[in-house]
This record gives sequence, structure tokens and C-alpha cells, in this order.
Amino acid sequence: MTKSVLRRGPGRVRKGIFSLIFLPLLLLAGLPAFADQQPESPATRQALAKAITAEGDQQIKDVTALADTHSDLVRKVLNAWPLDELYIIDAPDGSKIPCMLDDAQDADGKQKAIRIDTGAFLNDASGKPQSFFANDLTSVDTDMRLRRAIQDTLDLMALSDPNPEARKNAVMKLGMLQKLSYVPILEARLAKETNGNVRAAIGEAVATIELKDPDSAVQIAAIQKLGELGSMGSRDVMQSIIESAKTNPAEMKAAKKSLALIDAHIARVNFFGTIFRGLSLGSILLVVAIGLAITFGLMGVINMAHGELIAVGAYTCYVVENVFSSGLWLSPFGFSMHLPGLNLGGWMYQSYFVFAIIASFITAALVGIVLEVFVIRFLYRRPLESLLATWGVSLILQQLFHLVFGAANVQVNSPAWLSGNFTIDDVTLGYNRIFVIGFAAVIVLCTWLLLTKTPLGLLIRAVMQNRNMAACMGVRTERVNMLTFAFGSGLAGLAGAFLSQIGNVGPSLGQNYIVDCFMTVVVGGVGNLFGTVYSALGIGTVDEILQQVFGSPVVGKITVLVCIILFLQWRPSGLFATKGRGLEG
Amino acid sequence: MKRETSTLQWLAVFLVSFIAIVVVPCLNAFTPELSSYHISNFTLNLWGKYFCYGTVAITVDLLWGYTGLLSLGQCLFFALGAYMMGMYLMRMIGNLGQYHQPIPDFLVFLGWTRLPPFWRPFSNFPFAVAMVALLPGLLAFVFGFLAFRSRIRGVYFSILTQALTYAACLLFFRNDILMGGNNGFTDFKFMLGYDLRSAGTQRGLYVASAIFLLIVYLGFKQLTLTRLGKVQRAIRDSENRVLFSGYAAANYKLFIFVLASIVAAMAGALYVPQVGIINPSEMGTDRSLEAVVWVAVGGRGTLVGPIIGAIFVNVLKSWSTRAYPDYWPIFLGGMFLLVVIFLPRGLVGLAEHGVNLFKKMRSAPEPEPAPPSPEADSAAVNPAAVK
Repeated sequence: MTKSVLRRGPGRVRKGIFSLIFLPLLLLAGLPAFADQQPESPATRQALAKAITAEGDQQIKDVTALADTHSDLVRKVLNAWPLDELYIIDAPDGSKIPCMLDDAQDADGKQKAIRIDTGAFLNDASGKPQSFFANDLTSVDTDMRLRRAIQDTLDLMALSDPNPEARKNAVMKLGMLQKLSYVPILEARLAKETNGNVRAAIGEAVATIELKDPDSAVQIAAIQKLGELGSMGSRDVMQSIIESAKTNPAEMKAAKKSLALIDAHIARVNFFGTIFRGLSLGSILLVVAIGLAITFGLMGVINMAHGELIAVGAYTCYVVENVFSSGLWLSPFGFSMHLPGLNLGGWMYQSYFVFAIIASFITAALVGIVLEVFVIRFLYRRPLESLLATWGVSLILQQLFHLVFGAANVQVNSPAWLSGNFTIDDVTLGYNRIFVIGFAAVIVLCTWLLLTKTPLGLLIRAVMQNRNMAACMGVRTERVNMLTFAFGSGLAGLAGAFLSQIGNVGPSLGQNYIVDCFMTVVVGGVGNLFGTVYSALGIGTVDEILQQVFGSPVVGKITVLVCIILFLQWRPSGLFATKGRGLEG
Repeated sequence: MKRETSTLQWLAVFLVSFIAIVVVPCLNAFTPELSSYHISNFTLNLWGKYFCYGTVAITVDLLWGYTGLLSLGQCLFFALGAYMMGMYLMRMIGNLGQYHQPIPDFLVFLGWTRLPPFWRPFSNFPFAVAMVALLPGLLAFVFGFLAFRSRIRGVYFSILTQALTYAACLLFFRNDILMGGNNGFTDFKFMLGYDLRSAGTQRGLYVASAIFLLIVYLGFKQLTLTRLGKVQRAIRDSENRVLFSGYAAANYKLFIFVLASIVAAMAGALYVPQVGIINPSEMGTDRSLEAVVWVAVGGRGTLVGPIIGAIFVNVLKSWSTRAYPDYWPIFLGGMFLLVVIFLPRGLVGLAEHGVNLFKKMRSAPEPEPAPPSPEADSAAVNPAAVK
């Protein structure tokens, strides 16, 4: 691959020499840590000050030249410039002094000025630092051309950013600009780049730029290369080459072939991306619905408070996270209450999520026990009324969240190992999406083991099949009911712990999921745990595909709901109906 | 359960409707504002709204209490009716809107210069009224036909109606169906040439709501006495026996479902000019559940119950949202729990129980037949259906 990047046409020798001149500079830039420690050299400061005070074409030239400095100060100043945060202050002797304002404001809102050329504060006649109102100062003018030059300079400087992601973005940006003068710079970068992703990006960017090369052979090679790379970013360029009248037949042929390759690649990436997102969406559905598959599916309680049990889990996670960091102020019912924080850092803090998962399960299970003992216990024979009673419970719980944690959504910080993503062949895989797939698998496995391999599971299944018969055989059905409900509620709490990682937590968190949960369980076939697994994954994938097709999550969702209604026409009792001989079964 | 109505009850119905339809509007119109007999425009408007809620509650009860179909989508039909009437009212604003254009403001905002075709006929009042009945009726027919044909019943029916409502709610939140999106319709000015902001028009709408409620009440009362009403209750108690006796239960259920939807839609159409706004949150799943609460609190399986429940809950709501805004949902939820667990037949059941107790005390020495068991009804909603 490297070879093909470096393949050049005959006209490239001069540029090769050019890149030799750049090489030492870029080598320097390759040691950013070293460069950071150096104080800004007076030469850099002078060059900067000169660029700011210069006029017209000279100014643009000076600014462009700044790219070679690779200094943080230059980066900072250039970033501030287009935002009008760079000022010119007229000194008493008539000279113009470029300044930036210090971050700290004094009591009046005035800020001290830092001279760009020396780095010291701007002093008045008596030698004291002078303070200014930002509004009173004249900022340095910029026009369109200058702003573009500043941006280009910043992009060039970003090539040597210590963060590979930033380097990659800078490379891609430079590629999109399609300026032939960047090719040597990029190739020089390639020579010492160690990160595979960035190397690939450079190859792509060079090829994209070479599309503009006057030499037709170079151009065709670049077109072919982009096609082989399946470069999604260059699809538009390819399209414009095909549509352009100036294209010669050979180029046209190559471009068409490459475009087909790119389209195939995009289709492949979309396909796998959709499958992956569908699986993870399905896993989220599975995690939120599996608790309901126990309480509704097995026990027959139409638990409208399921969503609030999820929210209990999410809020528990929020509390645990805060306890691990700096503590939490709560004001339930007008009282003020402080939970002290452990102020942990590093991996100790990062591991909070493990504790939060356990705590969420336990809290939600306890709430479930209370619910079962005081409400549900009276309603096993009246399923439709359990719907109404649990809805009442859900109203009460929502308002309690509101009173304790406030009406506003709260944010739970994800541990580092759950945020971020990695890319395989242009398909982005988020860590949290991968986590939820594993999480769902573990939960299903544990539930299955509990129900089929333990004595408690045997009792649960016996009681759920026939309460009266089980009671006659001496099973303490009340306790089994209570434990089963607590288990289902605990699973809802687990779902909440996960949901707190992918979005904000608010009093109505559960309401967003309750309809989906019921749909998942009903489609899967009530009373069948594996039906729920299949239906969750199926609904998730179909939902994701429909979102792709319609280009809108809401339309996708509406279509899914309509599809489910139609599906139940075909199989009124879900995918896996529990077979029984009873007429009413 | 007593099915005939005694003279005393007829008298009570007559008296209550006379007060609601004649006395209250007169007190509003003909007494001086400072008199202690005066009923303010605000109160009148509020009660107009309660009557619309009462009508919805009756339809929920006709489905749930009498046919055993717990629909969690009744507010969808209510809101659809309201939207149809809202479209007419939007057209009647004319060019008095913010943008002074001949088309509704939100369409101007979305960049339309001409009226979309499906909006055009809504300038015509009879057409709008016809749509109030037709569109929800059609939706109910299609949904009901599909659901009842494949014998979806019990809990499944409830959950499916909830899904339907949720889907419709999501749909109406979108701007591109040109129904006002998030904000819905508001800022109405005229209806049939009358100014909606005047006290007289509001009084007229109040009387219309009250009369409509009375008609629905009497009509449903008649309906439950016919053979159809008997089949309906038989379906509630044991649908399979009805099927084995040769009745097409699905057709009966479909008829009741469509009828209930149309009536709810009409209540919605009366509701919207009184509150002056309709938006998608009116068709959210929680609104339909709230309507079910009214029925449960009032007492299902009776026709008076839902009306009492709707008015009772809403009066309580109006009061407590002002007095204890933070605790209202806890009140509502708590009340609901208590009613479901301890009063399965609601306030009406409680009153009947009181009357029975009173009779018992008066004729203490004689042994009385036991009062009808509250469990009898609820057991009929088949527990096996959830298996």
C-alpha cells in the first residue's frame, strides 16, 4: 500500500525536493512532547507579531509561514484570531502592539492584556499591568482570504498533533482541499507516521489530491487507488469527474469502475453497520424487556410500573457514580440532604459501574418486593386491574423521582472503558454497543440458568404454571411469587443501570420504553423467555433497517409498531405460543 | 345487578340534567357578577370540559365494563375528533393569524404558500363534522376488524390499542404530516361565525356538551337493554360460550368498538373549541389510561359511574393542581391504587353498598340476600387470558 502511495509521475521530482526541505521541520513536529516543554522562542513570537501587524498579501504569506513553527502559542493565537479575540493596542509611542486578553477577569470584568511579541503583560507608564474591557479594544481584522489562510495553517499544524484521531482528521481535511502542494507534506508525514489508521488516511488523502494532478496517468492511478480503497469520502469527487466534460475516456472508464467499487464498499459498510446497530438496539430492547418477560410473561402481572423500576436502576447508578466522585446534594420534600463522596480517582472511580450494576439490581428488587407485598399480591386473579394499579404505582414513583432528584434530567458520566469506539474497515463499533450485546447475553444466560438449573427455578416454574396446584403440593407460593417479582424487578434495574450510560436519566425515563417492552414480550410470545430474545433482536434489527430506509427514526418506529400490529394478525399469540389444551389458554 | 331503572332514578337523571342544561347556564347569563348565585364563565367552561371527559369515560365503560374490552386508545379517537374540528377552526381564523396569510400560521412557517389539498374541504363545517365521525370511525373499523378477526382479546387487546395510540402520537408530533406538529392547533377565533372568545358562544358550547352527554347516556342505556346489549355482556362474561351459541362475537365487538370511537371523537370535537388548543400530547398513552382511571374510580359496569368518576377525578385534579401541584400525581396514583384494591366497583359500588347496609339496618330481623359480590364482575375478565 505504501508503495502505491509513493508511486509518482515524472513531474514529481521537484516536489520531492520540496518535501526534503520540509522533512526536518516535520521531524521536529513529530516530537510534540519535546516541543511543548520549550518556552516559545522569541523568533516565533516575533514572526507571529509580524504576521498580525502585516497587511494584505504579505500578511497571508506570513501567516502561512507560521505553519512551520509548530508552537502551541501560534495555534492558540490563530484560533483566537477569527473569533475577534486578538487585539491591537496603540502604545503611547504610536506603535501597534498585538495582544490577547488574560483569562482571569477582575472585579470590574476587566482583563489584563498579554503582549504577543514578548509574552509579558502590557504595562502602563508606571510599570503596572494594564487592564481593559474586551469591548473597548479593537480586534484584528480578518477577511475571507485571511481566515482561509489561518484555517489552512491550523490544519497543517494539526498534522503533528499528538492525538492520532486529530492527525487523521487533519489529513482527511487536507485531502478534501485537493491542493497539490500538500502532497509532499503528507508524504513526509507518512514517512514517520506509525499509527495505521493515520497512514491509511494519508494514502487516501494523497490519492484524492492527485485527482487534480495535470498528468492523466497520475490521475488514473489515483482514481483506481481510491476505488480499491473504497474511499467513501471521495465518492462525490468521483461523481464530479464522471459528470465533467473534460474527462478523457480512459479516466472516465477508471472513474466508473472505482465509483462502482466505492458504492459496493459503502453498501457493505452500511449493511454491517446496520446489522451491528440493529443487534445492539435489539440487545438494549432485550435488556429492558427481559424483566417484563418475567413479571408479565411468566407471572401475568401487567406491570405498567416496569418503566419506573428501570428508572430506579438508572437513578441508583447516578447516586453510586456521585458517591464515588464528589458526593451528591438531594432535597427530597424540602429537606436538604448530603451524600458524602469518596472522591476516588483513576481506576477506582472507573470501576464504579460494576458496583452500580449490583446496587441497581438490589434497589430495584427491593422496590419490587414492596410493590408485590402491598399491591400485586391482591391482584393475581385480576390481570386487567393489575394494569391499572401498577399504573398508579408508576405515577407515584415518577413523582417521587421528580421530588427527590428534580425535574431536570441528570447526567451520569460513563467510565472510560464504556465510551469511545473503534473502527473495523469503516464500520464504527462503539464500546457501549459492544458492551450491551455482551451484557444482554450474560443476563439471558443467568436468567435461563436460574429458571432451569436451580431449585428456586423449579418452584418458580411450578407456581407460574399453576398456582393452586403448586400450593396444594406444599410450595409456599406467596414467597415464590414475591421472589419472582423481585427478580424481574431487579432485571429492570439492571436495564436502568445500562440506560444511564447511553443517555440522560430523568423521571420519565421509563415511559419511553414501556410500550416497546410490552411489544417485545407480546411478539415473542408471553411466557416464553427465548421468544423474548428472538423478538427483541428481530425488532431491533428491523427497526434499524427501517430507520435506514426511511431516513428518520420516528417514521421507522411508527412503521415498526404498525408491523407488529399486523404481525399479531398472523400470529395472535406471538412467535412462540405457549401451547395448552385449555380453551381460554 | 339491577337493570331496570326505577322512577326515583329517572327523576334524579331528569333533575341533574335540568340543573346542568338549564339552571347553570341561566345562573351564568342572568345573574349579576357579584351575586353569590353567579356562576363564572371560567367555571362554566371547566364544567363543559368535564362533560366532554364524562362522554369519553362512558365510551371507555361501554367497552370495558360492558364488553370486557379494555381499550387504552380511547383518547386517540377523542384527539382525532378534536383534530378534525381543529382543522375547521384553523380555517376559520382566516387571515387574522400572526402572518396575516389566508392559510394557517404553522403552514406559513413551514414554507407553504398555498393550502395543501387535504386541508381545503375543511373550510366547510358539515364536511368537518362528517370527518369527525368518519375518520376515527374508519380507523376503529380497520383496527377492530383486524384485532377481533384474529381473536385478540384481554390484555393483548389493551396492549395493542396502546401501541396504536403510541404510534399515532409519534406521527402527530411530526411536522411533515402538516397537522401542526408539536404545537398542534391553537389560537382559534370563530366557529360558524360566532366569536369563540365571547361568553355567549362558550355558554352555547357548554350546553351542547351537556346535552350531548345526556343523549349519549340515554342512548347507551337503551342500547344495553336491547338484545345487542345482552350479547355484549355475554361476550364480557364468556366469549367462548357466545361463539358456541352461534353468535359472531367479532361483529358485535366491532360494532361496539366503532360506535364508542365515534362518540369519543364527537366529544373531542366539542372539547376543542372550549379549551382552544389541541396538540399531540392529548393522544398520549397516559391520557387514555387516565380515562380508564375515571371509569374505575366511578365504577365500571354502570353508566352513571364513569360520568361521576370523570367529574370527581377532574374536580379533584383542578383543585389539587392548584393547592398541591407537586403532590397531585401521588394523589392520583394513590387514589387509584386504593380504588383498584379496595373498591373494585368504584364510587357507585360504594354507594350501593351503603344503601344495602342502610336497608339491612332498617329491616334488621329479616335475613337479607347477600349483596352482589364485587368479585363476580371482575372474575369474568378472564384470568386465563394472560397465560
